[in-house]
Amino acid sequence: MANVSNVTRLRETPAHTAVEVSNLNHVYEGREGKVAALEDISLTIEAGRFVVIVGPSGCGKTSLLMMLAGLRRQTSGTILCAGRPIVDPDPERVGVVFQEASLFPWLSALDNVEFPMALRKAPKDERRRRADEMLNLVGLQGFGGRYPHELSGGMKQRVSIARGLVQDPPVLLMDEPFAALDEQTRMTMGHELLRIWSQTNKTVVFITHSLTEAVYLADEVLVMSARPGRIIDRIPITLPRPRNYEMMASDVFGRLRDRIWQQIRTTP
Amino acid sequence: MSRIGIIAVRFALLAAVLAAWELLPRLGIVNAMLLPPLSDVVPMLGDILARPKVHEAIGVSAAEFAVAFVIAVPLGTAIGVLSAENEYFGEIFKPMLFYVFSVPKSIFLPMFILVFGIGFQQKVAYAAFSTIFVVIMSASAAVESVKAEHLLVARSYGATRRQVLTRVYIPSMTPVLLEALRISMIFNFTGVMIAEMYASRTGIGQMISSWGENFQMPQLFAGVILLATVAIIFNETIRWFETRCSAWRT
Ligand SMILES: Nc1ncnc2c1ncn2[C@@H]1O[C@H](COP(=O)(O)OP(=O)(O)OP(=O)(O)O)[C@@H](O)[C@H]1O
Ligand SMILES: [Mg+2]
Repeated sequence: MANVSNVTRLRETPAHTAVEVSNLNHVYEGREGKVAALEDISLTIEAGRFVVIVGPSGCGKTSLLMMLAGLRRQTSGTILCAGRPIVDPDPERVGVVFQEASLFPWLSALDNVEFPMALRKAPKDERRRRADEMLNLVGLQGFGGRYPHELSGGMKQRVSIARGLVQDPPVLLMDEPFAALDEQTRMTMGHELLRIWSQTNKTVVFITHSLTEAVYLADEVLVMSARPGRIIDRIPITLPRPRNYEMMASDVFGRLRDRIWQQIRTTP
Repeated sequence: MSRIGIIAVRFALLAAVLAAWELLPRLGIVNAMLLPPLSDVVPMLGDILARPKVHEAIGVSAAEFAVAFVIAVPLGTAIGVLSAENEYFGEIFKPMLFYVFSVPKSIFLPMFILVFGIGFQQKVAYAAFSTIFVVIMSASAAVESVKAEHLLVARSYGATRRQVLTRVYIPSMTPVLLEALRISMIFNFTGVMIAEMYASRTGIGQMISSWGENFQMPQLFAGVILLATVAIIFNETIRWFETRCSAWRT
């Protein structure tokens, strides 16, 4: 019996696949006719990996992320998450962290973090306990009572991350979460995100325009071409973990960033 | 300047205006027939407030106000929300609403008299008519103040349609709607007063207008003080709610 279960474990690679996208295409039907936004995207993301997607503006990164989140339906192709297709938003499987200003300004930080649990009517004390835990995780203990307008940009994004994690989904999607922050805060937040990631073992899909951020954070960088977006390169980032700021000055770091830049620059 | 300093200056200004009101007619600088001194007006205010005829008039005006309000606000909100939410409805009606909004409503008053005759219905109809456009505009602005990001967040966490309504639409719209409520009160009040002053047999507006025609200046000013006070109290009460509900809107 033990043997049998061992064998199935070995053969059952999908158990380690967090997200699997096959032959995904997307066409927008706009006012000026059809716009092919995504073309034949296939990718496999293993559980626990930190994957960063980069690509020229308008290449369809946000569109892809929306589809991974079940917020938009692709024209064709399938998306599997935890082995099951994504068709509608499923907060149990996928958490989303949006760009700035996605917190509800009429709710306190704590209530914002509780929001996903409140939607599914979790008991009040469980909600509170969990939200407190998340605020601690993102380094905001004692700030639960503050309203978004009383928080700095970096703190707001910490709250967003806490909200994305509160239901403990295995996958966290992040669309340029630090784009609106200043350079210094952005670096700190990247580093913080890595700490949170290593403490929670999430699979992260992270979109950014910053190549430095991409190399610093990623296990793997996916490069997309200009519209229609295709994945034109997969670059494993071999830098050791935990990452630190000194690595940015290293040759390996520079070469990796350069390689990504060349890819984006020459995309048709 | 400090908060207390500002308040002190405000009171000083108010005191100066009241003193001028008292002294200018007393000293003969302005004609006391046209501007009766404050000390004559204040007792007159007590006097008119004790008259049963005035009570009756206030009752009539208040009823007109209330009925017009209850018609204009829910109806206007519904039309406003519809025109913001429903593309076709919006495309068809929005330009027309904007055009009519820009026209002074008082020019339609004679038509209301022709249709309804002079009386309660005509005044209510006119007040509701003069109020509804601002309600429509504000309600559609309230819907448009709901941020797409917030709707997306709610959807991504699996909110049902009902939850999107109660947890995103309503809290987003509340501050704008409260402001709309306040402004529509002002419009509604104005509508009732204009209708009563233009042609009416009862109501506080009609009384003020007849005091004016008969040169009963102390009564006229007492009426003005009375109505101004009522309007300010209404306005400030809702404004207080507004600030409480929208501390986050900064
Ligand atoms: N709802 C829509 N209807 C029609 N076209 C759309 C829609 N959303 C996006 N597009 C188009 O699809 C393409 C991809 O858009 P998307 O927002 O996914 O790009 P992006 O890579 O996230 O860009 P950025 O880096 O600027 O955020 C763009 O050309 C955009 O104009
Ligand atoms: Mg984008």
